[in-house]
Amino acid sequence: MIGFYHVYKQYVKESYAIYDINLSIEKGEFYFLTGASGAGKTTLLKLIYKEELPTKGQILIDSVNINLIPRKKLYKLRRKIGIVFQDFKLLYNRTVYENIAIPLVVRGYRKSYIDKMVKNSLSLVGLNHRKNYITSHISGGEQQRVAIARAIAGNPIIIIADEPTGNLDTELSIEILKIFEKINNNGITVLIATHDNNLIRMFSKKTIELKQGKLISSPTKEKQQWIY
Amino acid sequence: MDLLKKSLSNAINNILRNKLINFLCLGIISFTLLTLGIFNYISYNLEIFTHNFSKNIEAIFYFKNDVKEKEIKAQISKIRKSLLVDEVIYKSRDEAETSFLSQFPELKYILTEFDKSPFPSSIEIKFKQEESNLTTKIISFIEDIEGSDIIESKQVNIDWAKKVLYIKKFISITGIFLSGILFFVSVFIIYNVIKLNIIYRKEEINILQLVGATDWYIKFPFIIEGALMGLLGGIIAGILLIILIKLIPSYSDFIINILKDIISLKKIPLKILIRLLFFGTIIGLISSLFSLKKFFKK
Ligand SMILES: Nc1ncnc2c1ncn2[C@@H]1O[C@H](COP(=O)(O)OP(=O)(O)OP(=O)(O)O)[C@@H](O)[C@H]1O
Ligand SMILES: [Mg+2]
Repeated sequence: MIGFYHVYKQYVKESYAIYDINLSIEKGEFYFLTGASGAGKTTLLKLIYKEELPTKGQILIDSVNINLIPRKKLYKLRRKIGIVFQDFKLLYNRTVYENIAIPLVVRGYRKSYIDKMVKNSLSLVGLNHRKNYITSHISGGEQQRVAIARAIAGNPIIIIADEPTGNLDTELSIEILKIFEKINNNGITVLIATHDNNLIRMFSKKTIELKQGKLISSPTKEKQQWIY
Repeated sequence: MDLLKKSLSNAINNILRNKLINFLCLGIISFTLLTLGIFNYISYNLEIFTHNFSKNIEAIFYFKNDVKEKEIKAQISKIRKSLLVDEVIYKSRDEAETSFLSQFPELKYILTEFDKSPFPSSIEIKFKQEESNLTTKIISFIEDIEGSDIIESKQVNIDWAKKVLYIKKFISITGIFLSGILFFVSVFIIYNVIKLNIIYRKEEINILQLVGATDWYIKFPFIIEGALMGLLGGIIAGILLIILIKLIPSYSDFIINILKDIISLKKIPLKILIRLLFFGTIIGLISSLFSLKKFFKK
């Protein structure tokens, strides 16, 4: 589903945020991406949705070498990936409904279909009662769930989440992770960046660990033979 | 269709949100288009004026006395071939004498001293009137005939028309020049206003890109916004122009009285109003496309 092949990322000279990463993420699996602050988790996620370009190396997503996607076709990649951002990136002056509908609206779907999909997403995250609230008026934990609902609304093949439990207490964090489990049970690949080791222990999932930009453990590390 | 509706309401919201900047911007577009409109209007009236004038153009050419009839006939048939000419009336020397006598019978004694008619033969040319804008051609046509060496003298009334044409040309050039400068100023200003709006909504644009919006989807509202701004500028300029023209009599009764018969000062042709809307929209479109191009290039 996702493959990294000798990927390097340098933001500044002489310093690598990502160093020679070979990685394979399988369809329908649930992964934690872990590592200390500054290890390169966010960078690795950004490489996946092509917010950043690798300095060197190839990245394959759904059998497409994303290096070769022209700017104008980038939206096709983005439609395959549901992203939950570390800072949510919600439109706080819009309603919860409007935020979740955005990925569907930009795809040009009919209103009735959008209504249905937003409703499904809201049920999944348990926020039906907040549907018409202005997003800035709801709590941080609820905003986090809106961000998840938006990521899932567009029916992606993979969900990527950057520290989705970053500012939440343990109880809420567990609740959020259960939502991701539910998503994963529907066959969607899940990749969650977190440095919360308690959570990782609690939910025993495959774990990818980074240290100073290098991959130090990966569930499929032994299988790095690539065929082109 | 949904996208269009949404973009329109977005555009209106944006224009209302940044009131000061957008109204300033609208003011400048309107001013540009008003200038364009005024010059268009003046040119238009001068055109009508010269057209009406061309109806009255008549040209009489007198041939030299020693010119053979054959040469005169050749000249006449050449003139008749021109598409500008409606009618050519030839008057031979004898006919000229006869018409002189019928007008001034008491002067018959003068003519007895000549054994042949002392009047030169002549042609009078009448020009077609239907088409406008022929005045320039008529003038050069007349000047052509004048150059012929069988012509002794002429009696034509084109000097005034020539002057008016000259003024019209001058005004047109001034208008094009001024409007051109203002056009660039307008484009520059809308360009920057749209750029501000893009920056203002950078966050939202970024989100839209991340959830899979196409470039076109993101650009569309801004294009609509630019076009709408230009169109509004055109509407305002059109209204101002109409008001301005309605006001003409109050400050120039005198001129009106002189020109009233020849030109229709109080009417403004639809053509000019449509042109204002068209140019406004074009200005808006060009500027927003430039802004977007700059923002999206990578
Ligand atoms: N835009 C940037 N320009 C320069 N350096 C950057 C940029 N983004 C990240 N870095 C650097 O790259 C390295 C990896 O950063 P990254 O954000 O990927 O780490 P992270 O694992 O997500 O950390 P955290 O857990 O704090 O979010 C860090 O040293 C960081 O300073
Ligand atoms: Mg990070």
